[in-house]
Amino acid sequence: MNLVVNGDAESGPGGTAEPVGSVTGWRIAQGAPALIDYSFGGGYPGPKDPGPAQRGSRFFSGGNSPRTALVQDIALPESGSTGRAAVDAGGVRYAVTAWLGGYATQEDGVRLSVEFRDAKGTPVALSVLGPVTAGERKGRTALLEREAASTVPPGARSARVLLVFTRSGSGTSNDGYADAISLTLSTASTRNAAGGRS
Amino acid sequence: MKLNRRDLLKAAAASGALGVAWPLAAGLSPAQAREAAEALGADYDPAPFTLGVASGDPQPSSVVLWTRLAPEPLAAEQKLPEVVEVDWVVAEDAGLRTVVARGTAPASATLGHSVHVPVSGLSAGRHYWYAFTALGKTSRVGRTKTAPTGSVASVRFATANCQAFHDGYYAAHRGIARENVDFVVHLGDYIYEHGQVGGVPESHVRDHEGGATFTLADYRKRHALYKGDPSLREAHAAHPWFLTWDDHEVANDFSGTGGGAPFMQRKAAAFQAWFEHMPHRDSFGDAALPDPEIHRVRRWGDLLELTVLDLRSYRSAQNLSDGTILGVDQKSWLKQGIDKAPDAWHVWANSIMLSQLRGSPGGSYMFTDQWDGFLAERKEVLGHVHSSGLEDLVVVTGDWHSAFVDDLRTDFDDTSSPVVGTEFTAHSVTSGAYSADWNRTNGPRMGRANPHLQYFEGNRYGYDVYEVTPERFSAHMRVIEDRRDPASPVSTLTTFHVDRGKAGSYEDAATKNSPAQYRRD
Repeated sequence: MNLVVNGDAESGPGGTAEPVGSVTGWRIAQGAPALIDYSFGGGYPGPKDPGPAQRGSRFFSGGNSPRTALVQDIALPESGSTGRAAVDAGGVRYAVTAWLGGYATQEDGVRLSVEFRDAKGTPVALSVLGPVTAGERKGRTALLEREAASTVPPGARSARVLLVFTRSGSGTSNDGYADAISLTLSTASTRNAAGGRS
Repeated sequence: MKLNRRDLLKAAAASGALGVAWPLAAGLSPAQAREAAEALGADYDPAPFTLGVASGDPQPSSVVLWTRLAPEPLAAEQKLPEVVEVDWVVAEDAGLRTVVARGTAPASATLGHSVHVPVSGLSAGRHYWYAFTALGKTSRVGRTKTAPTGSVASVRFATANCQAFHDGYYAAHRGIARENVDFVVHLGDYIYEHGQVGGVPESHVRDHEGGATFTLADYRKRHALYKGDPSLREAHAAHPWFLTWDDHEVANDFSGTGGGAPFMQRKAAAFQAWFEHMPHRDSFGDAALPDPEIHRVRRWGDLLELTVLDLRSYRSAQNLSDGTILGVDQKSWLKQGIDKAPDAWHVWANSIMLSQLRGSPGGSYMFTDQWDGFLAERKEVLGHVHSSGLEDLVVVTGDWHSAFVDDLRTDFDDTSSPVVGTEFTAHSVTSGAYSADWNRTNGPRMGRANPHLQYFEGNRYGYDVYEVTPERFSAHMRVIEDRRDPASPVSTLTTFHVDRGKAGSYEDAATKNSPAQYRRD
């Protein structure tokens, strides 16, 4: 199950390149995001540009602010096969995936990070995806898949997902693009934590 | 493969290519690279706690403890499980017999197997000792101290800045480790991001391990190399530290808000590696890694209010009419803090020079990477200090590799404008300063060009110790004899004082005849 709410930009207001005042599931920490239809045109990613195979109708962009940041705090499950007991036994893995991109040869971009925190809010794990460079996109408008995975550290209780769009140089449009953001947990086949207790 | 220092230096000199000998040169395994580093003057604590221990962000009931598991400190990846559980213990004694807190923290490969443990429930204003255990090994014992509460008669702290690895050994940190101080403030340029400089041993005592840093693996290796100087680890283990950063933790003169995707990748790698290697307490408000939140206010009882500034993360480009070095939110936060400041000494940990600095009378600013490139914001902030009636402001600064003492004025070009505080810019730990000839010529020139400049000395290296009482704030400029000597003795070059309730500084009569390239009489 994807723990990220509205990681596919399909919910809530949007549809054009105009910034929105709120984003379902996310807190706008900075700037002015837009949720743009793949059919919008105007040079934005379209249905046939490289991107997720199942891309739905919309993607995230940085809107018209030089730096736009979206935050989502996720409480990890209390019980079940990936609940606290399993996490504390070192038996849960996470996988974070996102499609990240930008416009043509420009170096606007978006970075996705997931910070796992313990009950006190102390960072205990971190995965950072992107931003995808124009070189990595081979100079074309595209979203590329990025992923990371590791063991959920014992004691982890929440995850903060941070999506930061950055505009390079002048211009109005912040052309960092993101879609299909997911964070999933799974039970590890073998225990991945080494005990330190004596 | 056995390498010794003499052979390595001879090989480097003969080949003219230090990469032949230096760690991480092609063909060396991490273990061999470590051996080479050790032969060239670096050393490490026993594995897995090679990089030592540290504490930071002391508060009345809490400090953050830090270590990182790095059995092969110069390897890009550690051969460890994805998560290793690390036990920690805090005690009232150096023998760790009277334990007051203990626990376990996970060290994740995703954070370089670092741990940051915020220990709470401690008593105010006292020393504690701590250690970590993992993989059947126990770390060295570190010492820390909590902040006091209530009425405080004195506080002593040190600042350090600019510690280019290749420019010298860390005798200054050896000195800091031996100082009787309550805490240390690092003002930035903890590492340098550039590649090898060469010239060992003729011009430099040692060198970087490789080329310029771009990736997370690069920055991890660079931090691990710097912690290969035992005096740095000793200073971390001796006192709690507060931390800010300057540009070289990432890239020369960078702005945290500019640049395209390739630089954003680099910055995120640098920021993450910085966090992984520092006793930094994170997670406030909307912040999250890999963008640590550095700025904060901390109090040392009723005597001192420390404001730690971040002058890199939120700054705009230089020399814009509407430019910012603080960023909108941090500036608002700083001004609100000024408005509600208690009656205390107000110390700003400021990585880069606040005072105006012209190179010659009526000439241009010397460096607009410092606050001189953000004129409107400086005027606004110092004007706010004055209009709010804030007194007893002392700004402690790094970056310049030389010592300055400045009056802070609301308008540096108007000598009738009010003095609102004092700025002490400290010598660097090792990073190279201008030549003695340059200093001799330009010290008096800067004095003529900057009426608020009280003192300049650029021929030495070291750190500052600040001694604060309710009546007086004293800055002791500690200098080392020779940065090529790891155990170079420390002496006090001179001392400046600021009296409570009286803006402006004066030099201690006992050291007023000490060498300097400028002092205003």
